[in-house]
Amino acid sequence: MKKKLIIIFIIVGLLFFTSVVEAKLKVVATYNYIGDLVKKIGGDKVKVIALAKGYKDPHFVTPRPSFIAKMRQADLLIMNGGQLEIGWLPPIIRKANNPKVNPGSPGLLDLFEFIDAIDVPLEVSRAQGDVHPDGNPHFHLNPENILKVSEAIKNKLIEVDSANMENYQNNFEEFSAKWKQKIEEWKKAMKPFEGKNVVQYHKNCDYFLNWAGMKKIGTLEPVPGIPPTTKHILFMIDVIKHKGCEFIIHDVYHMKKPSRFVSNRTGVKMVILPHDVGAVNEATDIISLFDEIVRRLTK
Amino acid sequence: MKNIFILFIAISAILTPAMNYGSGDPFSQTKFVPAISFIMDVSWLNRDLNGFSTEGFEIPGFLHAGHTDGHSHSGSIVNGVKGFNLNYAELSLFATVDPYFDLFTSFHLSEDSFEIEEVYVSTRKLPHGFRLKIGKFLSSFGRFNAQHAHTWNFQELPLVYHVFFGVDGLNEKGVQLNWVAPIDFYLTLGCEILQGENCASFGVEEEEFYSDDEGKGEDAKVPGLLTLFGKSSVDIGDLVILGGVSYAGGETRSVHEGTEGEHLLSGSSEVFGFDVTLKYLLDSYRYISLQTEYMNREFDGKLSGSYQNIGDGDQEASFTRSQAGFYSEFVFRFSRLWRTAARLDMLVRNSVEIDGIDEGLPKNMKRYSFMFDYTPTEFSRIRLQYNYNKYLYYNGDLKNFGEMNLQLNISVGAHGAHPF
Repeated sequence: MKKKLIIIFIIVGLLFFTSVVEAKLKVVATYNYIGDLVKKIGGDKVKVIALAKGYKDPHFVTPRPSFIAKMRQADLLIMNGGQLEIGWLPPIIRKANNPKVNPGSPGLLDLFEFIDAIDVPLEVSRAQGDVHPDGNPHFHLNPENILKVSEAIKNKLIEVDSANMENYQNNFEEFSAKWKQKIEEWKKAMKPFEGKNVVQYHKNCDYFLNWAGMKKIGTLEPVPGIPPTTKHILFMIDVIKHKGCEFIIHDVYHMKKPSRFVSNRTGVKMVILPHDVGAVNEATDIISLFDEIVRRLTK
Repeated sequence: MKNIFILFIAISAILTPAMNYGSGDPFSQTKFVPAISFIMDVSWLNRDLNGFSTEGFEIPGFLHAGHTDGHSHSGSIVNGVKGFNLNYAELSLFATVDPYFDLFTSFHLSEDSFEIEEVYVSTRKLPHGFRLKIGKFLSSFGRFNAQHAHTWNFQELPLVYHVFFGVDGLNEKGVQLNWVAPIDFYLTLGCEILQGENCASFGVEEEEFYSDDEGKGEDAKVPGLLTLFGKSSVDIGDLVILGGVSYAGGETRSVHEGTEGEHLLSGSSEVFGFDVTLKYLLDSYRYISLQTEYMNREFDGKLSGSYQNIGDGDQEASFTRSQAGFYSEFVFRFSRLWRTAARLDMLVRNSVEIDGIDEGLPKNMKRYSFMFDYTPTEFSRIRLQYNYNKYLYYNGDLKNFGEMNLQLNISVGAHGAHPF
């Protein structure tokens, strides 16, 4: 017994000292798009790990124990917020035993604080499905919001790692100049669709559609998070036939059957849009993600 | 009645700030209301067995007649009787206390009791990956023990947990220290020093057993229970592997009401546990998971009082138990809304010796379970479960029987996070 205890102590001790402090700032991002922004602004001064897979439903992330190991070593945690992570992130933070990323600590950055949310409900009841009481959390699909949150990320990186301030400042300026130029490009491409009607499967592209000036006339989910019912599908077919519709927008992770059915019945084009970096092969970073969204809508 | 009154006061104390002070009140405390959630669990049960409940049944060497509920607190047993069952309700509160502590509480409610299942603080600021838990909590022993009933894949806890720790699991007052290794894969190590009041394996009080004697017995030293655990996990793409080893060792003092009269077990017990979980994620919603846990218990001590082979009254005999069991469960979530699962429970070793003579108790007691559940949202679940039981004895005879139950589990309030 004694021997075993000594061996355990030696192993623990070794683990302790092998964790020699690395020079790079360790950042954990909940989603890929955040990870990519951190990479762009942090450059080679940061080491970024994104937890959720880009091709999966951002609401339902399996809280793998390996996330705890990643969180344990983080200097900074950057999250989407707006309760998108409520179902999986809190126990990961709690079990990681890392005071740096506890809620309320300077090492936790919640991007939702920096944008203006849409669809903030006045009354909240779960009879309306999986409602987000703080408003729609999928804000990153409005390209203007990307500018706001990149600035927040830049400021946070400078706050926790002021030694590399210049690096973060320069990278941010370079990125935001490029981004502003891309916004003009995407705006031009989306111009013909302004004022056109659109139907989504889930309300996850609202920010993009608002930005592009398109009109959302409904979702195939009767209420957020509840799969389509026959009754609601037939109702939406009626709505589409009555009002006219440009696209039926679907995501990469839900079953395509309901959207395809409505598309076949109405003759309206179904478009599968990536929602995050890594959702489709073409979306390798935040810029190509938006390039791909615009390409799929305008082709 | 008194308990319901306390519950009422507790709830109104929580809600009062929200009701009394509207916006504009300079002393409004609404924002400090803790996260509250409430769970209810009801079921309908049928079993092909005469009699209303399984009272009077025993598991030889593990649980005596009258104690097959694992010395449960009043009324907290799941699926106790044929027909409708109110299994439990649970009220949980969670809040950050200050920069140094988080507080978690969970109250277990039955029709006529209000119990503190868990109340503990957990540190927020300890350096080097350490965390301390202080209070009453579900031990981190094994894979299953710390999970709350509403997250279980079947309605009952695994048989091996039931016989070794009782239906409430290893739920004790004490402290836990755990550490997460600063490495690229998950590794956590921890230990707990606990009071040792578990009904089935541990205990420190000899109660009133010798009260009419000349103060013969001796209460054990407290705290009476030590646990150690280590858990580790790696990902291979979409396959997640989680494994753990656990140990619980401590004093055993327990008074039993056997068929011949009262007897006392005193000595010490050690339980070793080994668990492994494989979970393969098919997409955002669907997964296949295989989970198994093996546990072994060794008890060494003495038996006093009335027991079949040692006669009546104040007889004493040396007594050892060497027992083991496991469960294996397979879960397939085949759509966003539906899951199905099968579980095998088995007690594989049951060697009990009195004064060195083997009692020849039965082993290989089994339970087969199957279930389908439907989860329309994260806040409601309907489950149909069938158990075939081959582990309960009545007057020395094994009684095999099937049981079917339909369960409804509802939760409201704060959004609970999904356990892995």
